[in-house]
Amino acid sequence: MMTDTFSGYAGAHLELIAKAEAAGRAIPPLWPLSSSVAVNPFLGQTEQTLPQVAVLLDRVAGTSVTMLRDWYQAKIVDGTISDADLVAALAQFPEAATDIAALKTATSANTEAPVALPTVADLAAEVSGIDWPGIVEERFGVWAAGFFDTGQALWQNKPGRRAFDAWRDFASRDLTAEIAGLAGFGALVASTPAQTRNALVAASDALGLSAEASETYFHQLLLGLGGWSQVARYRLWQAELAGGTDVTTTDVLVIQLVWEQALYAQYATEIEAKWAEVRAAHASPVAPTQGQLIDAALQAAAEFAGQRALAETLNAPGEATSEGRPALQATFCIDVRSEVFRRSLESVDPGIQTLGFAGFFGLTASHQGFASDVEEKRLPVLLNHGVTSKTGTASDTTADQTARFAARAGRAWGRFKLAAVSSFAFVEATGPIYVGKLLRDALGMDPAKTPDKRAPVLDESFGLADRVGAAIGILNAMSLTENFAPLVLLFGHGANVVNNPHASALHCGACGGYTGEVNARLLAGILNDRDVRAGLSENGIMIPDDTLFVGGLHDTTTDAVTIYDGDFAGHGHQSHLNTANGWLTSAGKLARTERALRLPRAANGADVSRRSRDWAETRPEWALAGCKAFIAAPRARTKGKGLEGRAFLHDYNWQKDDGFGVLELILTAPVVVASWISLQYYGSVVAPKVFGAGNKLLHNVTGGIGVVEGNGGALRGGLPWQSVHDGEGYAHDPLRLSVCVEAPAEAITDIFKKHANVRALFDNRWLHLFTLDEDGKMSERYNGDLNWVPVARADADVTEDIAA
Amino acid sequence: MLLNALPLLAPLMLVAAAFAPRFMQGVDVRKGAMFAEMASLGTIAVAVLSAIVLATVGNGDSFLIGLFGVGLSVSLDVVSVVMLLLVTFIGWVVVRYARTYLDGEARQDTFTFWLLATLSAVLLLVQSGNVVQFVGAWIATSMCLHKLLLFYPERVAAQRAAHKKFVMARIGDVAVIGAAILLASSYGTTQISAILAQAEQGTGGGIALAAAALIALAAILKSAQFPTHGWLTEVMEAPTPVSALLHAGVVNAGGFALIRFADVMLLSPLVLALLVMIGGFTALFAGLVMLTQPTVKASLAWSTIAQMGFMILQCGLALFPLALLHIVAHSLYKAHAFLSAGGAVERVVAIRKPGPVAVPNMSAVTRAFVVALAIYGIVYAVLGLGFDFAGKSPQAVALGAILIFGVAYLLAQGFADEAPQALTQRTAAYAATVTVSYLMLQRASEWLTAGTLPATPAAGALEWALILLALISFGLVALAQATLPLWSYHPAAQGLRVHLSNGLYINAISDRLMGGWKRTSSNKGAAQ
Repeated sequence: MMTDTFSGYAGAHLELIAKAEAAGRAIPPLWPLSSSVAVNPFLGQTEQTLPQVAVLLDRVAGTSVTMLRDWYQAKIVDGTISDADLVAALAQFPEAATDIAALKTATSANTEAPVALPTVADLAAEVSGIDWPGIVEERFGVWAAGFFDTGQALWQNKPGRRAFDAWRDFASRDLTAEIAGLAGFGALVASTPAQTRNALVAASDALGLSAEASETYFHQLLLGLGGWSQVARYRLWQAELAGGTDVTTTDVLVIQLVWEQALYAQYATEIEAKWAEVRAAHASPVAPTQGQLIDAALQAAAEFAGQRALAETLNAPGEATSEGRPALQATFCIDVRSEVFRRSLESVDPGIQTLGFAGFFGLTASHQGFASDVEEKRLPVLLNHGVTSKTGTASDTTADQTARFAARAGRAWGRFKLAAVSSFAFVEATGPIYVGKLLRDALGMDPAKTPDKRAPVLDESFGLADRVGAAIGILNAMSLTENFAPLVLLFGHGANVVNNPHASALHCGACGGYTGEVNARLLAGILNDRDVRAGLSENGIMIPDDTLFVGGLHDTTTDAVTIYDGDFAGHGHQSHLNTANGWLTSAGKLARTERALRLPRAANGADVSRRSRDWAETRPEWALAGCKAFIAAPRARTKGKGLEGRAFLHDYNWQKDDGFGVLELILTAPVVVASWISLQYYGSVVAPKVFGAGNKLLHNVTGGIGVVEGNGGALRGGLPWQSVHDGEGYAHDPLRLSVCVEAPAEAITDIFKKHANVRALFDNRWLHLFTLDEDGKMSERYNGDLNWVPVARADADVTEDIAA
Repeated sequence: MLLNALPLLAPLMLVAAAFAPRFMQGVDVRKGAMFAEMASLGTIAVAVLSAIVLATVGNGDSFLIGLFGVGLSVSLDVVSVVMLLLVTFIGWVVVRYARTYLDGEARQDTFTFWLLATLSAVLLLVQSGNVVQFVGAWIATSMCLHKLLLFYPERVAAQRAAHKKFVMARIGDVAVIGAAILLASSYGTTQISAILAQAEQGTGGGIALAAAALIALAAILKSAQFPTHGWLTEVMEAPTPVSALLHAGVVNAGGFALIRFADVMLLSPLVLALLVMIGGFTALFAGLVMLTQPTVKASLAWSTIAQMGFMILQCGLALFPLALLHIVAHSLYKAHAFLSAGGAVERVVAIRKPGPVAVPNMSAVTRAFVVALAIYGIVYAVLGLGFDFAGKSPQAVALGAILIFGVAYLLAQGFADEAPQALTQRTAAYAATVTVSYLMLQRASEWLTAGTLPATPAAGALEWALILLALISFGLVALAQATLPLWSYHPAAQGLRVHLSNGLYINAISDRLMGGWKRTSSNKGAAQ
């Protein structure tokens, strides 16, 4: 952990340092692709509204944060956005236009593409004709790819060094800048203060920066690094979770500043005046333009329209749920991909009940796979791990050793393959074998890698009392405390893809970008434990003796499921399991057929499975594309309603939630995670250049942690273009998520009073919030500032407005 | 002979499939891509049939479709058939891959068209029966590939890389045109087999020597040899299948030219010596740079440069059958490596799973080299009894020794003090398998090409000097590689790493000279 001191700086300089650190927090973190999760790209801006963020990102990134006008126009023309939606939107942004006619007219003309304020590099490029921004980006990329490399290169940089130190060593030796025409760059780098903060202050002084101008300027420099600054921000995130701090965001900012300083030193006479203007522009307050207000209003209208459609879906008559003891309970992750499968499964037999719960099943596990030293954090990234687990028991020691030897020999072979001189021997001796490999992969015959069959085992340190406590908390949070079926399946989920750098992004986000079966199996183990059940019954949760919990894995790419009943040898539930397997197979077929309609080049369910093995497939599944709602209510409210795999479904029964502790948990954890997912899609659609991962066809994995497009340059976080677009149209409408909760509005208001950061998400409309009534219909809308308006009345108002 | 013209069907099929969507009703982009795959499957069938013809009828040229030695003709022999099999197979894999990969891409039809065009140009090149066709196909390959490299014309980095490649390729074109003219005027024919037959007799004089030099120059440019290699490390700016095609197909053209005109090349020991030095240096230099590359595709690109260097070295040592083996083996490996580059994330994670790497110390490395050479000796002796290894040239033996230095690295990892016995045994088994496999493949390629490719001439003083130089330099680098963890974090080594990771600034210099970072109208405002 690295920290810096504040002592010895003058007031103005202290302000600059503070601005530099704040700029680091304005950037969203980026998880490495080995275990990646969706991140809200506006994480640093949730205290601001959309128009405010529009101005900010226009200035610092040259991007818009809404769609082009014609996108809204098309929706108005085809009736998706109604006049009522426009009226409601205007009520929210009264300054946007005088009336809805003006708003409609505004959709005919696309506004000019936003242009960011120029950096010194941009100004230098203008006067010199040399593409300095390109050079800086390329040079930073070369250094950063080496610095953040986790094992791609055999000859690594010296590890454990601070970013700025490592860069100074690199840049003072690197001759590229001087060859390109920046005289004395190496010497300048060598003469910068070794301490990051001193270098920051020196560079800022050289550039004539005031604290006021620095705020958005620093933000711009960091955003210009794309994913590299986000990786730095990730380090800070992890350090803070562990109770520490990290300085890498400031380090990478100062690296950018030193480039700016060097370019300014060379071109000052030509760009001085312009640079003064830019500084003044940075220092000016951010205020939305008319155009940005119109954009925001149109976006609001589109969201109203989406909510209207959602309300219609929810208003449709549901299916009756059968009373009595279900034959099977199957719990799935709240992930929208579960919705299709749950609906299919329920349709197979009325005795089946499905439930939705965050896919880590309440167990924050740090897990070591079989024969592996890697600690996989299989838990939401907002949390620290609470339990540790491991695949394999003491009796597996020999197998563990053998597997490790095989893996190490494989690793030695891998190094042989890639090392100088030995790679020639490798090619000449084994090249012809690749005929077979090419054939196998071209024909998609590489079998899927399935998770370990061996059961994960919880560490003994998590004792009986802990397990009972966890079981109570988890069952309550699942609203599953009575009427247990004889067989309760707990399904984690994971994708099943090949040759896909973004594979982990398709896995379970609640499990930190890993597949979810480990947590599900761990929970099943706890709940089957006789002692735990005894403890549960003392606390009023009676699990019948004939109830068996079994963990499983829902493969979201192929909708196949695996059930790990081998974890509980001699369980005596074989007939239940056989029946369940039959149902699950039928449900899988239904779900695949439904999903085939959305996937390109999939005529039927069989194609869906085949595509998952295709090494050239860029769209093996749609993941969470299209997500638009989060519903926390008993399943009875939504059962049989066509939610099209676009809703997160969390089982929640407020009548049983004393003190609304579970509601608080839902609003502060799963809802926040869902907002990250929804907003990642939003950002990747509306601002693909800034917040999207670019074109999969050009992806080049760097350092084992991320992708760049083509040769290098900026790391790209977010979603690839192919994940949000099918070539003809968007697979995701950029509408911010509607959260629907069946609970009293006052209870929610009380929770907001305790959690300002969650409230900000709703107040600034990064999320929308509705309460549901006992029929699953929208009842009240959260209108910001702890105010609620009835949904029906809001519609009536609109009608009156139109009439007037 | 009519049958010998069979391979011409292969490029014809691809061209037909390329133009089908333009002239047929109802052929949309997806159908066009399907036609492309069908046609590329058809070319495999043509290549297999050609192999059968060769096996039954033997070497021979087809008639010429054209006049005065200018036109299309096929030289059917082991070299062209092996290349046909290789290119059609990889072509099919790449076309099939692109069919899915490019789906939904706005200009997929354009991509498919130029992909097929490039492939048919390569197919025409490898079957060339006359130098005019050779030159035409050579240039067409590069021109068609250029269209693929600029598939995203708006990408500034793509323009920069393609421009570098374009300049190098045009110099290469001039060299290859010059070589063709010199060959035709020197030997009075454009027919390649006739030229080779005469060259084999040692005729041709100074003009033929000049032709050999020009062919060498063209090969160096085409196969990205130092210092003309820069473009190859930057052309990942096009969709992945283009990289696969380039690295597994097009870049081989340099080596192919040397092998095709082997008899001519043998006329000039001096040119061959130059190839040994350039190829050998490139192999070592690029191999070291590769170690420092943190992105998967850049690492693969440097690997290609190194492998091409090694192949050119083999040509320089007049080990043409081995160079052909190297082209085939490397192409298959590299096509797979590029197309499966998306798995890099999982591969890097897998490295960390089984715990820390056991680092061999100096004595373990020394033991490894001794044992590796011993394995080589034993395998050589044992196999030699059955497979007539006694007649091998010192060049081939030395080359085997170089490869054994590589095997030593594998052993060294198992000999590290911390390495458990099980690991030692496994790496030793791998090492023995690799050695046997290599020697068998080497023997097989010599057997297959006997009579078609010239035998390695007896080593003179120059050759012995080169052999020694190669042995020493490759041995030293292999030693440095095996001991890398012992010195790689030293400040001096880290400093060297900076320069190596930048490829010794060849690209930076050529960017400066060619204005690679000049702002053009298309990249203005693209900043940030």
